[in-house]
Amino acid sequence: MIDPYYLQQLAIGLSLGMTYALMAIGFTLIFGVLNVVNFAHGEVYTLGAFAGLVLISATAPPIFAVIFIALAIGAMAGFSLERIAFKPFRRFTDEASLKSRAMRESTLLSSLAVSIVVREALEIVFGSQMRSVPFEYLINTPVRIGPVILVTGDFIIFGVAAAMLIGLQYLLTRTRIGLSIRAVSNNPLGAKYVGIDTDRTIIMTFVVGSMMGAAAGILTGLYYGAIFPAMGFVPGIKAFVAMVMGGLSSIPGAVICALILGISESMATTFVSSGWSDMVAYGFLILTLIFFPNGLFGARRERV
Amino acid sequence: MNVSDLSAPPRGRGLLIPLLLALLVFVGLPAMLAGFDRGYFYQIANLALIFILLSASMHLVTGVAGLLHLGHAAFYGVGAYTAALLSTKFGLGFTVTLPLSGVVAALIAFLVALPTMRLVSIYFAVATLAIGQMLYLVMLNWVEFTKGPNGIIVTKGLELFGFSLSGRLATYYTVATVVALCVLAIGRLSHSYYGNALRSIREDDQCADAMGVSTARLKMEAFTLSAFFAGVAGSLWAHMTGYISPGDFKFSESILILAMVVVGGLGSLPGAVIGALLLILLPEGLRAFGDFRNIMVGLVMFLSILLLPKGLLGEVSALQLARRQLGAAWRNTVKGEGIGWR
Repeated sequence: MIDPYYLQQLAIGLSLGMTYALMAIGFTLIFGVLNVVNFAHGEVYTLGAFAGLVLISATAPPIFAVIFIALAIGAMAGFSLERIAFKPFRRFTDEASLKSRAMRESTLLSSLAVSIVVREALEIVFGSQMRSVPFEYLINTPVRIGPVILVTGDFIIFGVAAAMLIGLQYLLTRTRIGLSIRAVSNNPLGAKYVGIDTDRTIIMTFVVGSMMGAAAGILTGLYYGAIFPAMGFVPGIKAFVAMVMGGLSSIPGAVICALILGISESMATTFVSSGWSDMVAYGFLILTLIFFPNGLFGARRERV
Repeated sequence: MNVSDLSAPPRGRGLLIPLLLALLVFVGLPAMLAGFDRGYFYQIANLALIFILLSASMHLVTGVAGLLHLGHAAFYGVGAYTAALLSTKFGLGFTVTLPLSGVVAALIAFLVALPTMRLVSIYFAVATLAIGQMLYLVMLNWVEFTKGPNGIIVTKGLELFGFSLSGRLATYYTVATVVALCVLAIGRLSHSYYGNALRSIREDDQCADAMGVSTARLKMEAFTLSAFFAGVAGSLWAHMTGYISPGDFKFSESILILAMVVVGGLGSLPGAVIGALLLILLPEGLRAFGDFRNIMVGLVMFLSILLLPKGLLGEVSALQLARRQLGAAWRNTVKGEGIGWR
């Protein structure tokens, strides 16, 4: 018989992994279309959480309105992020400069710079201390299933994330915009030749990816009850690890690796103090880079 | 016009700029500091000097060798913790801890470089980020060894073979001397055939490999050397301030150092120095308007990437400057000896 404690940790790990998965999808989508890493993705997560918090403290809306406003802010953040940090560096659209290292590194650095500005601006406006979520919005009412005690948040996170994953799958495979996203990530220049508006597609990708990131932010904020300007940094790195483990451009791979990461982290807290549990993700990252440089689920790449 | 004409610029000018700089750092600034006589100015001067060293060491690995390094502050931290632990646990003085911190930081860099050095571009950046965060977690969580978030109080100040150098002016002179020597060494490393080999890796590592440049080894050397200089900077910081805590070595510090190199111009040593001065002095100057230090770092970095993609003093102009300055020492082949700077 398995100790119920482990089952409980497993469930917590699954919901934690789901939030990483939502973040990792944003990374993966954006990496797919632009071939660059968006370092400001963690700040989208934070913005989503703060949008929810502001709405909660201003009025007393139902929880679905909170998630909805977080999604809307996430979409706006993704749009402006693309305009500010990525668009100015796409002045040249020929294949050589699309693949050039200088361009990729300058967008990497510019998204890093934007993320610093956003985080510091949030710190100036809201202060760097943790802000607590009002008690009635916390999603941690205990639920008892047999010997296992879970909280409602585990179910809500799992449900919302699963719904968003299904929605994403529908968007990518059944709609025109999904088709163009897949086309651009397959071959940007080819997509342009057949008449796809690549600029619009890139914006849509940022919007979709950032909505998922913002949803992860508000859900985690309500689950732990603490929202602060630097909260996006650690989940951002975890999601990034999941993306690299999954093979950079594979969405199912990223989701599976995010779940693995979440579960192994919550299991690790059983054996070591929580301060050390971040070590699991970094260890996974280094091991993946050394032994599976293509990622666990990725297609073969020429060089890593 | 034959080759020797091309590479023999008029002599005599070559030492002017370095001489002026040395005069400024060792005579002009101390005189000003002594004139104002406020501890605050001394602190800023020392802080700027330490960050010049950090930014110059980052320049070696990110600017010259083209490896995007996102964990530099962790090696700075390793140096600082080595100095602090050696001096509190074993009572060793600054003279011993200064080289030892560099060596320990370089050793750790060498060990982590062994498996990760064959990664390229973004994979390398992510690996250094993870390594930096792991070292930071060790500093933060290994409470029995590093005292965790409480930090360590370093009681021993700067000294040289037993002579105390802990007065304000003496501290400034010590820091300035160490930093100047290190920057000089980095300058010789990056403006030489060695530096050109590193640049060839940055431009196209496959091509450099095919031409017979040992890329993996050179990358590893650049990474280890830059960690050495970062460790030296950490030791200076620990003995100078007398108190260190993990917060001084977190990810945002790595980004600050990266921003200095980017703002100054990737691949240009004078640029790295200017970038460090700008990003330390500008926020201090704006302190009157509130604590905008970090947001300034982000804004300056963003605007410089957008408007000055080559940096304040780009690599080409920096190389021209170096060629003019060092050109006086250039020798073409003389009786069978190789060509190069002496």
